Amino acid sequence: MRVALFIPCYVDQFYPQVGIASLQLLQKLGVRAHFPAQQTCCGQPLANSGCERDALPIYRHFVDTFQGYDYVVAPSGSCVYHVRKHFDKLEQTAEVQHVRAATYDLIDFITQILGVTELPGRFPHKVGLHLSCHGQRGLHQANESELTPVRDGQLRRLLASLEGIELTELDRNDECCGFGGTFCVSEEAISARMGQDRVQDHLRNGTTILTGGDMSCLMHLQGIVRRRQLPMQVLHAVEILNGEVVT
Amino acid sequence: MSSSREKILAAARANKPAETPLPTVPDFGGDASVERFMAVLSSIGGRVVWVADPAQLGPVVQQLFPDARRTASNLFPATVGVHAQTPTSGLAEVDLAVLPGEIGVAENGAVWLPEANMLHRALPTVTQHLVLVLDHRHIVATMHQAYARLPNTGGYGAFVAGPSKTADIEQSLVIGAHGARSLVLVLY
Amino acid sequence: MSHSLRAATFVADADRTTWHDETLWFVRQKRDKAVYAVPEFQELRELASQIKEHTLGRLDEYLKQFEAEARRNGVHVHWAADAAEHNDIILDIIRRHNDTRVVKSKSMLTEECHLNPHLLGHGIEVIDTDLGERIIQLREEAPSHLVLPAIHLKKEDVGATFHQHLGTEKGNHDPQQLTEAARQHLRAKFLAAEVAISGVNFAVAETGGVVICTNEGNADLGVNLARVHIASMGIEKLIPRLSDLGVFTRLLARSATGQPVTTYTSHYTKPADGRELHVVIVDNGRTQQLGRPDFRASLKCIRCGACMNTCPVYRRSGGHSYDFTVPGPIGAILSPNIDLKKHSSLPFASTLCGSCTDVCPVKIDIHTQLYKWRQVLAEAGEIPIAKKWSLRFMGRFLASPKAFGLGGKLARTGLRLLPHQLTHAQALNPWAVARELPEPPKQSFREWYARAVKQ
Repeated sequence: MRVALFIPCYVDQFYPQVGIASLQLLQKLGVRAHFPAQQTCCGQPLANSGCERDALPIYRHFVDTFQGYDYVVAPSGSCVYHVRKHFDKLEQTAEVQHVRAATYDLIDFITQILGVTELPGRFPHKVGLHLSCHGQRGLHQANESELTPVRDGQLRRLLASLEGIELTELDRNDECCGFGGTFCVSEEAISARMGQDRVQDHLRNGTTILTGGDMSCLMHLQGIVRRRQLPMQVLHAVEILNGEVVT
Repeated sequence: MSSSREKILAAARANKPAETPLPTVPDFGGDASVERFMAVLSSIGGRVVWVADPAQLGPVVQQLFPDARRTASNLFPATVGVHAQTPTSGLAEVDLAVLPGEIGVAENGAVWLPEANMLHRALPTVTQHLVLVLDHRHIVATMHQAYARLPNTGGYGAFVAGPSKTADIEQSLVIGAHGARSLVLVLY
Repeated sequence: MSHSLRAATFVADADRTTWHDETLWFVRQKRDKAVYAVPEFQELRELASQIKEHTLGRLDEYLKQFEAEARRNGVHVHWAADAAEHNDIILDIIRRHNDTRVVKSKSMLTEECHLNPHLLGHGIEVIDTDLGERIIQLREEAPSHLVLPAIHLKKEDVGATFHQHLGTEKGNHDPQQLTEAARQHLRAKFLAAEVAISGVNFAVAETGGVVICTNEGNADLGVNLARVHIASMGIEKLIPRLSDLGVFTRLLARSATGQPVTTYTSHYTKPADGRELHVVIVDNGRTQQLGRPDFRASLKCIRCGACMNTCPVYRRSGGHSYDFTVPGPIGAILSPNIDLKKHSSLPFASTLCGSCTDVCPVKIDIHTQLYKWRQVLAEAGEIPIAKKWSLRFMGRFLASPKAFGLGGKLARTGLRLLPHQLTHAQALNPWAVARELPEPPKQSFREWYARAVKQ
């Protein structure tokens, strides 16, 4: 099984530890993932801003980079959703179709392809899970409150399998954090307010470690946590699952 | 025939998508019990009263609305005569209307009230209070079943579910907006 | 003015934003409770979507069928290509009856056509009778929500308005008492009106009848007392069969307010003896939207407002921030069809979280349409120039691995070395108004990988 790791652009630059944890966790699960150095981005920032046409060269570059692998794994549901849903703008060659189908969010890859539903380890903390909208509603990684009252999802289960962990019950389980790509600057005021409300929900319900499957949402929430100097640490879920020690 | 008619129809014809089949709507079954109907109607502000015999209607209404002076009804001898040509001024004075319902819907507490049962189309909303009388054997589970039972909707007819209400001021529920201030359902 | 500017003004009042958000979230929660209680709810959404899809595919035929049946029932049917024609038709009917006092129940279509100013300009008193609509009419404001037109107002605001216009006691803001005052005030209007105007929730092709849903009973009271009833309907209100109402009436109120059904679901098929029923069928841009394959599903909308209640942006920016008759996510996909330039910022007033799509009772792919409108807007040159060029530059940069590696390193190093004051200058960097930037690490993942993993 040839597995490539796709590390989203901002994770590469600002959160290398997330990439490292992804690589290490996969290794522990018996998968040696390769990081093709020529990779850049999935093109979502452009496309979500209306410049899908300008993103096409990026899409092609993505397909060229990853077409030789059985799976492309990324610690970001949002990028994966973009590749799957919006690469329909490319001519649907066999390579394009393969890359779209073979691109997986890391958590989905672990649970669906590797069939791993629990992980060893101990994490005695009160953990708040932030569900990313693209992962949850786009990739159906977790139940949606619009459809059912049952709160369930693969990442929730994986985290719950850690010894000593306590997951926060939020007032609004799956409200958007307000990151939204370029929305976070073009609608700065609303974006910030949404993020503040999201963080408050966690704070009110006792979260000390805030986590999720998408670093973009977490970058935004972390920005608010740090600005307000709140007693909360932000980690990507793969850091926790890989056995990150919290100080 | 206006030219706008032709313009709109031509544009609709030119711009419409490929035709897709019209789905058959299944009967989803569901709970048609009197208990469910009563519980739902109570939850939306209606009040349900059982009578063993429809002949007791007069005394029961008298007991429920001792202060009602101007009552209109086609079920028992009432104090105001209302008919299709009653002027607005006459309708405006009605305190209480007592009318027969045709079908009760358990899932939402609605009662089908056709024009033929209303005396006047405006009566069910212009009256201060409304009493609907329903045979408990005419309760169905869902709106699908209710529509399946309607031969047609006549000239006018309404499903009435509870008293008139509003929540337009800060989402505070207030019973008695413009229509009947209260709804009592007499089941027999 | 863009949505973001109007939204920033709204959200600047933090307490009011909290209240607005929580009030609408409460409606969303009531909706959830009602939806969870119907086991076949998701099936009903699919059926509703299919029925609407089918209807759009035969729209011209169903319109003709509806017209023929309605005429057979003694209904006067009128056709209006646009708002101006709609208003002229209605004014003409009112004038023929020499009426000057008209009552109107809730109709977003008449809002869309700006009927009220047209009638007022011709000496007709037109009174909105839905409580929320009456409140904003007295305040000379636009509705801020499809179903809850005065949801942006607090009871204190309403109390002040009623004190000024209806003579209620100063400082009285009890909803019960204010509603009673409105009841008394509007009763007189109902009793005096010769002509009543209403909207239409559903128009049934096979019966030629229209269905109107209200909680207050104001539509029924108005049109059944008046001698003339004028019902305004968009061409998209059609459904084929009476039995289809089973599906839509089960979805509408649950999605809108969490009620099992509206208090009154009224079926108008024939005028009463000696009275008149007019139906005005309106296009006003709808057939144009029908011709846009990516956006025609927006015509399935049954105006429940669920997408507004769930939208995290709407809840925090208020309905007026959209500056369009229909606000919120559905408004953001309907408005560019009407005026691409004026409403160019609305499809960007979303994080594309997709909650709107998931609550929509007729399964309109709202967030996908928002994404697609963005593409149309950018192609048409309706996004800010600076944004377009920076994105184009970003495109080049992201398609090139070399430039990407180098650029990322530069940005990161800059962020590390430049003073916090500069990197977080609020005038230059909107991110930093309320958020810290990430702390830049010494090396990127790719730099780490190149050293750590010897292939």
